[in-house]
Amino acid sequence: MKTPLIQNERFVQVAAPLLVGALVLLMWQLAVMALEVPVYIVPSPVDIAQSLVNDFQSLFNALMMTLKVTFLAFAIAVVLGVAASLLFVQSKWIEISLFPYAVLMQVTPIVAIAPLIIIWVNDTTWALTICAVIVAIFPIISNTTLGLRSVDPNLLSMFRMYRAGRWQELVRLRIPSALPYFFGGLRISSGLALIGAVVAEFVAGTGGAKAGLAYTILQSGYKLEIPKMFAALILITLTGILLFALMVWLSDRALRNWHESALKVEH
Amino acid sequence: MPANTASELPSAEEAATTGPVTRGRPVLEVDGVNKVYGNGTVALKGADLTVWQGEFVSLLGPSGCGKSTLLRIMAGLGEVTTGTVQWWEQDYGVVGSEGRKLAFVFQNATLMPWARVRKNVRLPLDLEHAGNAPGVEEKIDSALDMVGLKGFDDSFPRELSGGMQMRASIARAMVTEPDLLLMDEPFGALDEMTRNKLNDDVLKLWKEKGWTIVFVTHSVYEAVYLSSRVVVMAARPGRIVDDIEIREPYPRSPDFRVSTEFAGYCRQVSQALERASSMGEETQGQPS
Repeated sequence: MKTPLIQNERFVQVAAPLLVGALVLLMWQLAVMALEVPVYIVPSPVDIAQSLVNDFQSLFNALMMTLKVTFLAFAIAVVLGVAASLLFVQSKWIEISLFPYAVLMQVTPIVAIAPLIIIWVNDTTWALTICAVIVAIFPIISNTTLGLRSVDPNLLSMFRMYRAGRWQELVRLRIPSALPYFFGGLRISSGLALIGAVVAEFVAGTGGAKAGLAYTILQSGYKLEIPKMFAALILITLTGILLFALMVWLSDRALRNWHESALKVEH
Repeated sequence: MPANTASELPSAEEAATTGPVTRGRPVLEVDGVNKVYGNGTVALKGADLTVWQGEFVSLLGPSGCGKSTLLRIMAGLGEVTTGTVQWWEQDYGVVGSEGRKLAFVFQNATLMPWARVRKNVRLPLDLEHAGNAPGVEEKIDSALDMVGLKGFDDSFPRELSGGMQMRASIARAMVTEPDLLLMDEPFGALDEMTRNKLNDDVLKLWKEKGWTIVFVTHSVYEAVYLSSRVVVMAARPGRIVDDIEIREPYPRSPDFRVSTEFAGYCRQVSQALERASSMGEETQGQPS
């Protein structure tokens, strides 16, 4: 390949944001050094990197705990959300009767109900998971329901003309039509599951062996271990980015042959 | 010329050149059909039409004259407000049973974008639970072959041109070996070259398969070229105002398009269409 790297679109897509990030970190480092900002106010990128290495074990354990709640909540949200959507499209009456409660769940701030859930549910992991499910489920329900209804009316007429049963209509027509919407829901919901897990942990203030990244942040705040606080923050952000990237990849895999969103435009 | 597959029935030429009395069995009888939508719009008023075995009937009219509504009613896809429709002298229940089959070709190809061409074409068979019956693969092969899509089995619809998508749509309609094929402006969105080519292909298939076709179009030339009968409709309210037989023998070649007879029929149909349009305007001001 003789093309210079700068003309390679994929390379630029990765390199350009990385370059911006590196520049920001460099300026941050220089500013902290030049202004002699104390480490307990704003730590330098080097301080944070040191904390990542030195506190690796406790940070890693906390990360695993947060990931456990996030993935558990996300998986439950997907299963329950899809089940609810399938139920909603069975009849207009079911949707009319139940959809307002899905909205209710969406608009109630999780910090307001998390204390109740933590009181009611003994096991902390499950209490946090339930909170995160409540935050993450709505985009799945609303997007998938919309998708299951967004069927080409002519295709639907054709299915009816060939006397397709409800099951055939669902499996061969509604579910494939809903896939792009469903994956759109997944992207939003994966991030929300993480946010839900972190927010619930803040409210719960779980310590000890079951402490996640949110508790690490709280603790580091009390102890003025600001570099560790940043390190925990970075881990949460990276988790979110990886989750999002995973969803984009999944959706691309599933839709790349046919859906406009996943098509590569050739010039 | 291949023999007509339905040998006991009159051939297309006979259907086109003989009177209704000796036409054999009616495939479709629309009797005094009115269609009023919920908002009070009269889409169809007193539509009467009989389609006979082996005919190629075009429904022609200005936009909004209810041709598509009528076609959907013929497909059992729309309820009538008053009046009756019969298929093979029986109610809609006969379709599907007794081996009587309808197929509908929509204005757009209406393919499932997530499925490859072959899967799209076999859909009607799958829906009828005949997807695994012996000989199905051969049927699909032959349908794809007939519409000229051999070798495109594994393509996705988006990889095909508009004309090829329409061909896939026709293959899907063919695969059930329908007795009555209903086509709703299938070639309206295509360029003229592709359209002419597909017109010839449809005529060829109609002859070979012994189909009965009802074809909605807003092109006078297309209607005259294809049909054994052109039914002219007027708008507001939608109704049938003229019924013109095209007494020209099949097969019709591109030479027919430049013949004086063709021009004569086009003039006759155009005049009917103009009368139909002016009728629509006269009644336009009436409250619905």
